[in-house]
Amino acid sequence: MKYQIVIAGFGGQGSVFLVKIIALCAGNKDVACLGTENHGMSQRGGSVSCTIKLGNYANPVIDANQADLLIGLEANEALRNVQYLKPTATMVVNADDKFPSEDVNAEVVRVDAFAKATNKEIPIQGLNVYMLGLVLAKCSDFPFSIDEVKEGLKQFNPKVAEQNIQVLEKAINDAKAE
Amino acid sequence: MKQTLMGNDAIALGLVHANVDMVSGYPGTPSSEILSEVNKLKYKHNLDMYAEWGTNEKVGFEVAYAGAIAGRRTAATMKQVGLNVASDSLMSAAYIGNLGAFVLIVADDPGFHSSQTEQDSRVFAKFAKIPVLDPATPQDAYDYVKIAADISEHFQTPTMLRPVMRVCHARQIVRTDDEINFKPRKGEFKREIGRWAALPRVGRMQQGIEMIDRIEAIKQYNWENLIQPELENCKGSGKLLILTSGTGDGFVRETLDDLNVEADILKLKMPYPLPEEKLKAYFDGYDKVLVVEEPMPCIEEQITTDKVYGKLTNTMHLIDEMQKVYVQDALIKLDMYKGKNIYPSIPFKKDVDARPPNLCPGCPHRDIYYGIMKVFRKKKSIYTSDIGCYTLGINQGAIDTVLCMGASVSMASGFSIADPDKYIIASIGDSTFFHAGIPPLVNAIYQRHKFMLVVLDNSVVAMTGRQKPPQRQNKEIDIKKIAEGCGAETYEYVYSNKMDVTIDFFKEMKEVYDKATGPIVVVVREFCVLDKEVVDDYIPLEFAEVVPEDCTACDQCTTVYKCPPMSYNEDGKVEIDPFLCIGCGACFDVVCPTDAFIQDKSRGIMREETK
Repeated sequence: MKYQIVIAGFGGQGSVFLVKIIALCAGNKDVACLGTENHGMSQRGGSVSCTIKLGNYANPVIDANQADLLIGLEANEALRNVQYLKPTATMVVNADDKFPSEDVNAEVVRVDAFAKATNKEIPIQGLNVYMLGLVLAKCSDFPFSIDEVKEGLKQFNPKVAEQNIQVLEKAINDAKAE
Repeated sequence: MKQTLMGNDAIALGLVHANVDMVSGYPGTPSSEILSEVNKLKYKHNLDMYAEWGTNEKVGFEVAYAGAIAGRRTAATMKQVGLNVASDSLMSAAYIGNLGAFVLIVADDPGFHSSQTEQDSRVFAKFAKIPVLDPATPQDAYDYVKIAADISEHFQTPTMLRPVMRVCHARQIVRTDDEINFKPRKGEFKREIGRWAALPRVGRMQQGIEMIDRIEAIKQYNWENLIQPELENCKGSGKLLILTSGTGDGFVRETLDDLNVEADILKLKMPYPLPEEKLKAYFDGYDKVLVVEEPMPCIEEQITTDKVYGKLTNTMHLIDEMQKVYVQDALIKLDMYKGKNIYPSIPFKKDVDARPPNLCPGCPHRDIYYGIMKVFRKKKSIYTSDIGCYTLGINQGAIDTVLCMGASVSMASGFSIADPDKYIIASIGDSTFFHAGIPPLVNAIYQRHKFMLVVLDNSVVAMTGRQKPPQRQNKEIDIKKIAEGCGAETYEYVYSNKMDVTIDFFKEMKEVYDKATGPIVVVVREFCVLDKEVVDDYIPLEFAEVVPEDCTACDQCTTVYKCPPMSYNEDGKVEIDPFLCIGCGACFDVVCPTDAFIQDKSRGIMREETK
């Protein structure tokens, strides 16, 4: 198995959290994983892009035209990273209906998670987990199952796992309802 | 056992597994988590060890180095520009050597992710004549830090581990020793004046001669223990041999795989010192040799011949961090690959607005800079600044110069001499003040340089992950007392979220400045909004909203105040992003010339919700 993921957002959205969860899932399944994340300057509200490569890889960086999946926690941050996507890849993005999906050379799965947070359907801090739930619902080639991700969430922080799992399930149910 | 670790956590665990029992250093991205993690392991496993931050890298280096002279196994951690500060200690320590182990861990930052230079610390190791190990992955980092400690003890020399950002902040499943069986040592200093206090010319010359012999012996060690086992994976002949070091290795392996190109790869775990002649002889079997390393040609300069290609021949890239496309380009130049570019980079068709880092919503630095600029107008002032979060005041136009740690103070001195008609306002954080701000302040006081030094004291090393600075650990240390003790006219301002109070304070300071005959120091007592221990005491949860009719789209808030929640909506009016506003209540007065910011009374009990 070889699968490369880019996670794009801005500081404070919890991009690194998603890297940690996916890395835990990989560890549990004995899948090799190598990823990289931003610290320091980029934490201050600036652009953040993280990578995680699953399978037999030797460096943590994803090059242009290589990624299988881009999780965009914000529309502009997703667009800023489109060059990493393969033509056969999927972009799962938090964006409103003005998002130029037709100009992205990949399959686009779009949801307006900011609107959902504004309407109090999800907590804003759960936006990252909501997007991961959407990935689970929409990307058949994503290498981990819903239960495996839930296990990762529990391992990472049992205290807030229940909340996170609720958000994850809501994303999956919302996707089904559409 | 196997566990998912970030590179810096792997290094920390490696140190503990190598029985390193004294670790010092100074925070700096991408190195900071190493010492923090050692400290966590110390408390988690109740280990008898020293793991504390030094006031700067030189101090951290020397504390750990003395431990090694006394026979303990020690380490110092820092980023690459931190090594510049510790370089004085390094250059001499390389001559003198050590008894226990001394591992110098220096994290490089190819690509300038969060550093002002892209220097290569392996080249620094070569300059100082100490061995350096270059890990490619968190697994390597864990393994090599143990090797480094053993090399240091065996050869009695400081030994460098040089991870880059893509190792420090990479995450990988790492195989580690099963348990912590920590055996700290008892240090015992043995007097040997001729060694530990060697003087020029005879003493140091003798040590210099020994250093040359030591490096020759380490070359032999490198060949036998680190290079020859790798040669078993090479055929010994062929069209192309690729020498790799650190992250370059992973990029080469993946590119060859992606492009289906065959070449032998020789991974050099220790890029200095290299057994040059043995390596050059090995090249005989190959048509060409390519060196893939970053960011500078450290290996290449040691072994270059007519058949060696790399940065010196313009075959590899010269600046910025590694990408596979650079390896592909090199293979094309060497006639090893004739296919199409499989890494075409096609950005989105329109420019996407940049999102530069900014001071956090509610950060007191923003208000202080705003107040300074209101009182000491730009045209008549020079604003020198320093290294830390507050450097982001540059977004407000509140900073004219940034050089390196402590330079805000000494450069203010220089400008006061060169351009004496202007107001000169230097800004520096508390940790940076302790690090390198005190000597230039003493200099300014004794030479009576006229400027205002504003120490932004939030009592945390915020940018690098909120490490605790000296005054947080020991309240007897006080910046105001230090400045007064040096002889500076010193004032204190306790941050208020009322902007008019801040402005009034700086108006008073302007009067003081006009009468002053030397530097005046202002210590501003602040807090950091990311500092969970204290932030709830300071943020009043007064959230902002905009009265659209009152907004005249004058740009004041979006260009001079620059709080992240403030931006224009489709109607051309400023709007507050409710997810970003933290309720500091600082924008209700002064910030908007037409007072369009008011308190959103529907919010304010969010604290329980957000917890």
